[in-house]
Amino acid sequence: MGRQSAAETGRGPASPTLTALSSSALLLPAYAPDAAADAPPEFTEIGIRYSNYQEDALGAESVIIGARERYDIDVTQAYVIAPVGDSWSLGLDVQHDAMSGASPWFVGLTAEGQPGVAMSGASISDNRLEVSANTRYYFDRGSLGGGVLHSREDDYDARAVNVDGAFNSEDGLRTYSASVSASNDKVFPVQGVIPVRIDEERRQSRSVYVGVSQILTQTSLVRVGLSYTLQDGYLTDPYKFFDQRPDERNEWALGLGQRLYLPDWRGTLRADYRFYSDDWGVDAHTLRLEYSQSTLWGDITPYVRYYSQRQADFFSVIADSRQEFFADDYRLSSFGAVTLGMRWEMDVRNWRVSLFGERYQSDGDLGLGGGEEAPAIVDFWRFTLGMTYRFD
Amino acid sequence: MSRSVALFMLLAAALLAGCETVQPWERAYLSEREMQWVSDGREAVLINHTYSSKEAASGGFGAAGGGCGCR
Amino acid sequence: MVGAKTLNTVRVSFVSFILAGLLALTASPAWTEARVSAPAPSFALPGPDGSTRSLADYSGDIVYVDFWASWCGPCLKSFPVMEALHQRYADQGLSIVAINVDQRREDADAFLSAREASFAVLFDDAGVTPQQFGVKGMPTSFLIDREGLVRHIHQGFRKSDGEAIERLIQEALAE
Repeated sequence: MGRQSAAETGRGPASPTLTALSSSALLLPAYAPDAAADAPPEFTEIGIRYSNYQEDALGAESVIIGARERYDIDVTQAYVIAPVGDSWSLGLDVQHDAMSGASPWFVGLTAEGQPGVAMSGASISDNRLEVSANTRYYFDRGSLGGGVLHSREDDYDARAVNVDGAFNSEDGLRTYSASVSASNDKVFPVQGVIPVRIDEERRQSRSVYVGVSQILTQTSLVRVGLSYTLQDGYLTDPYKFFDQRPDERNEWALGLGQRLYLPDWRGTLRADYRFYSDDWGVDAHTLRLEYSQSTLWGDITPYVRYYSQRQADFFSVIADSRQEFFADDYRLSSFGAVTLGMRWEMDVRNWRVSLFGERYQSDGDLGLGGGEEAPAIVDFWRFTLGMTYRFD
Repeated sequence: MSRSVALFMLLAAALLAGCETVQPWERAYLSEREMQWVSDGREAVLINHTYSSKEAASGGFGAAGGGCGCR
Repeated sequence: MVGAKTLNTVRVSFVSFILAGLLALTASPAWTEARVSAPAPSFALPGPDGSTRSLADYSGDIVYVDFWASWCGPCLKSFPVMEALHQRYADQGLSIVAINVDQRREDADAFLSAREASFAVLFDDAGVTPQQFGVKGMPTSFLIDREGLVRHIHQGFRKSDGEAIERLIQEALAE
């Protein structure tokens, strides 16, 4: 199957957002509120960021049929946040993703008898637009926030709402936070070269988070947090040929974090760890380490992230459709991944410029659990350029 | 069972030992941008979104706290 | 299974940890604390030129003592307000004393060089004065009358606080 024009293939298969049916990507609010602050922002701030995300093409030996190149996504984020009166802040976020590329349809055996991916046809393009608004009220010992979000693309629509609160102890050294969010989504896959079995289905997500942050010394703090998410509805990926998932998923995540300032070095050590587990059998560990160095020419921060997941109970490299539930989606497989990245940020008067670059490399052998490597796991590069301006 | 209790106590002791009272006027270092839980909100959103769509795990973070404590 | 002796050790250590923790929480350093209608704690601190000023130097004036730091966001807004109050009421007997608590002097200098401050600025990087005044959050300001009594304690600084503070100063000056 050679490359076909967009006209011949019609609209294409899954967008990254849509293929996030195995996760609760859209559940988290688009705007991460700066709940650490105890007072409204002093200035109004507007910003724009441009990112390019590029997945490595698959090796010829891994592809049964279809295109080899994978996703190429251009992301534009724009936002504004402003203080309102004495105790409020208001924020608006807009994000646009322009995606093109092929995606895995199913996993079978290559001519050599190895697992290989049948990919969708030619490059397709899809655009996603997400708009979110949020507000925050600051009172003496804490703050309350609320927000709404709407994301829309050719084959997916999501509407979400969230509320959260943060409350400080009297000495201000401990902060308790909690948040609740809910998302109602619709999936209406586009008929194209990949036949789809459904017209329109719904799914929803409900999530709750509680956490505590404690200042230990003048230069260090720690936090611990727990989140629980319930997803139900149509959780199967309609663009995958062999895919049948339960209509409910219970997810838990425990997060630990630490920040340490080194005054003599003017540097900061940042560490975050998360353990994730759900009732589909997936266990995952995430560890992120950063060191931020303050220099005359801004802050430079190299970072590393290690991720390991153990496969879902019903996952197998080549899906077994005789079972009640089955999937060959690499996102539910066992693998490990390492990200190496660097960011540079500089303040010049009322402007802030930032540059990010990272490389994500995944491999079955990098994972802590066993399991055979799915042929479609991804590697990618990501670059981001951002600018913000603040004013009264 | 006694080993895990001992481990828990060690962690608790370490936490308590590391705990000192930090006065409201001693929060200079805690106010540094990089000392915040989220130093760049939009970057956090992008990272979250990217990884949640490529990996199975999600959630777990979101605490407030630290910072300058200014009102 | 766990032996009785181990269990006892565990119990004793656990209880002593809890006690130690509670003790740490209840212990508080001895300090005087500024209270409304009580005399303001005296202080003697260096200014930018190194010369020492003390609270006694301002007796007879209405003194507005403000604790600030370069890392304190609301201080960005309080400074222009204090400058305006200084310009307007200094010759009526208002003395503004802004006490800086930065641990790194160059941070305070950078903050000052970027904005106008013709009122008195004193430095206390050891944090003795805020402790004596019982500062509970940043920024905090104390309005002291001509007899040296604390009249008002103001915590934090929001946009509209300038008007309220001005009114209190006017009342104090009118006496």
